[in-house]
Parts: sequence; structure tokens; C-alpha cells
Amino acid sequence: MHHIEVLGPGCTRCKETFRVVQQVVESAGIQVELVKEESYERMAALGVMSTPAVVIDGTVVVSGRIPKAAEMRELLGIS
Amino acid sequence: MTTLPDIGGQPVTEERDRAPLHLAAGIVIAVLAIGLYTQLARLSELVTYSMLRLTRGTHLASAVEFFVFEVPKVLLLLVGVVFVVGLLRSFLTPERARRALAGKREATGNVLAAIFGIATPFCSCSAVPLFIGFVSAGVPLGVTLSFLVSAPMVNEVALVLLFGLFGWKVAALYLVTGLSIAIAAGWIIGRLKLERHVEPWVWAMQAGEAPADAPKRWSERFSDARAAVREIVGKVWPFVVVGIAVGAGIHGYVPTNFLAAFMGRDAWWAVPLAVLLGVPMYSNAAGIIPIVEALLGKGAALGTVLAFMMSVIALSLPEMIILRKVLRPVLLATFVAIVAAGILVVGFIFNAVL
Repeated sequence: MHHIEVLGPGCTRCKETFRVVQQVVESAGIQVELVKEESYERMAALGVMSTPAVVIDGTVVVSGRIPKAAEMRELLGIS
Repeated sequence: MTTLPDIGGQPVTEERDRAPLHLAAGIVIAVLAIGLYTQLARLSELVTYSMLRLTRGTHLASAVEFFVFEVPKVLLLLVGVVFVVGLLRSFLTPERARRALAGKREATGNVLAAIFGIATPFCSCSAVPLFIGFVSAGVPLGVTLSFLVSAPMVNEVALVLLFGLFGWKVAALYLVTGLSIAIAAGWIIGRLKLERHVEPWVWAMQAGEAPADAPKRWSERFSDARAAVREIVGKVWPFVVVGIAVGAGIHGYVPTNFLAAFMGRDAWWAVPLAVLLGVPMYSNAAGIIPIVEALLGKGAALGTVLAFMMSVIALSLPEMIILRKVLRPVLLATFVAIVAAGILVVGFIFNAVL
């Protein structure tokens, strides 16, 4: 099961990113652990300097922009 | 499948096959846009006097012509420049800026940081992660703050609007003075040794290694740039339209030199007042510049107007509240005071010289 984190201090772009990821996961019907991470400590630990960011299993895959749904599907290996 | 020349060092994919088509479409759109741009004056006249049959010389006609001319002009410029900057940004990430700045000496570092600030993607909600990322990687405090002043103040949206509405000279002046404020403010803070006024938890932070940037293909860069246009222009266009509508109203109805008395260059208190008024106002460059243009046209002095604009964009209350999370009150106040002083100096110099 993938562990997905959406990093951001709660701005609109971060919420939009969370929504995109959530929608992709739900429509694919896969089981994931999806969390919204607002702590600056976590961002610093991962080396993230521009939000929103998406982290899958501890790896930063998107940073500083809102990902597209197709891109998220590809990253999660959903065909 | 024919093998296409490969730009990004990636295997040829299905998407790559459509790249020439996208490129061709892009060129056609660019040519059409430039053609439209050159005909805007004629178009606005046509709409105002032939289609709407307004009488020449009336306030209404003057306001309508201004609006019909400026809205498409600014929007076309905005789309073009945001696209190009979007392409540039796919090369310049905050991670790269940090790598370039870490270990740089101050002075050089301040200058570089301010220049990076122009093109690096930045939104105020990224200010804190960026601050932590820079400082914990060994970028000096003053250099980091140079970046944080320059990033919101000297941005492509502001420069486009200034260029479109005031011409290249004012845009260049804004660029140079904005960078100077960013460089000077950061350098002075570096001299003041205020590191102990950064919240202690920031220094305890363990900076992670920034993720390595995957090499990007050109098709990805173009798609990033298109996404930037959608996001940025999608967000600012209502401000542009409303701003120009207000500007058009002033343009048509407020008498020339109406503002000269209290926003002209003889009123010494106009500049500080403009800076003070700018702080609680939270607007992006798009919303403020068209209004400012109309003010300028009615006798307000350029220095006063530029000071007002810089204050609105660079000294916004929400950003200060966000920065308070990492900067203690003394440092935050010093930072704001130095930036405000820089803006005042710019305002006074322009009023004196021009």
C-alpha cells in the first residue's frame, strides 16, 4: 500500500493538489494511505522548498505545482 | 515510426511524435496574437466610434476607447510573457537557486539571490519552507532575505503591466530599483547580525537533500509553461479587467492634473503616505497597475506611484504574518523598516529627478 503525503501550509493550491490526488485514488479504487502534511519540519526534512508537493513512499515526486490527474495515475502505476 | 531528433535525451515516445504539430500550432497562434496586438488601436477605434457610435471627445467615448484598447493589449502581453517565463522556470527551480547560493559570500550572494528572485516560482505560502530550506543549507540570512524581497516584488506580471502601460523605460526603472532594494535590504540585515532573532526551531531543523531534478523533455517544459499560463492568467485576468475598468473611468472622467495637488512631486508627504497606504492593501501587480496608470495620467508623480506599487506588492500584511513564523518580531520589524525605507528612497529620487 502506498503512503502518499501532500505537503503544504494550507493554501488554495495545496488544497487543490490534495483534491486531485484524492480523486485519482478514489476513481482507481486503490487502497492508499493519504495524508495532508502541514508541518514545516516534514517539508524541511524532505528538502521541499516550494509547495504544494506530493510525496509517495517518502520520495518527492511533485514540487511547487499542482499535478495533473494523468500524471498522478502514472506515478502511482495506475493504467 | 520515424526517429525524431531528440532534445531531452529521452527515448522517443508517442507524445514526442506530436511535438512538431504542437510547435506548428504554437507558431500560428503566436503570429496571430502579434498581428492582433499591432491592430489594437484601430480595433478600439472601430468598436468605439463605428459600432457603438459614441461621439468623439466625450468622457464616455474616451473611457470606452481606453478600456477596449487596454484589456486585450494587457491580456495578450500577459499570456505571452507568462508562457516564456514558464519555460524559463522549468530550468530554474528553488533547489537550483539554493545550490547556487549556498556557500556564496555575501554581497555576491545578495546580488545573485535578487536576480534569482525574478524568475523563480514563488507564492507567499512557500515563503516559510523556502526560508528554512535556504537558511538550513547554509545560505546566509541576508542573502535569503534578498531573495524573499525580490521574489514577490520583481515578478513578470508586474514587469509586463509596467511595460504594456508605461513603456519600457518605467519597466526597466522598476526592475533596477526593485533589485537594488532587495540587494541593499539583504546586505544591511547581514551586517546587523540578527541571526539570533530567527526563531530557534529553524536552526534546529535538519535540511534534507533536495530531490534530484529529473531531466525534462521539451514537451514537458512546454506543457509546464501552458499550465503556468492557465494558472497565473486564469487567476489575474479579473483583476486586470476590473483594474482597467476603474482606470478607464478615471481616464474619462477625472480632470487632468486633478491629482497633481496631492500626489504631485511638490507634496513631500505623498511618498510616505503612498507607502503607508500600500501596506494593508493586498493586491497583485495585475490589479494595481492599471489604476496607477490612470493616476499617473492625471498628474500624480511617478516616484509616488512607483512607491505605492512596490509597497502594495512587497509589504503585504499576509506575507508578514507568514514570515512571523520564522522571524522574531525584532528581525521582522527591522526587515519591514529597511524595505520600506528603500521604497521611500526610490520614491523621493524619482520625484526629484524626473
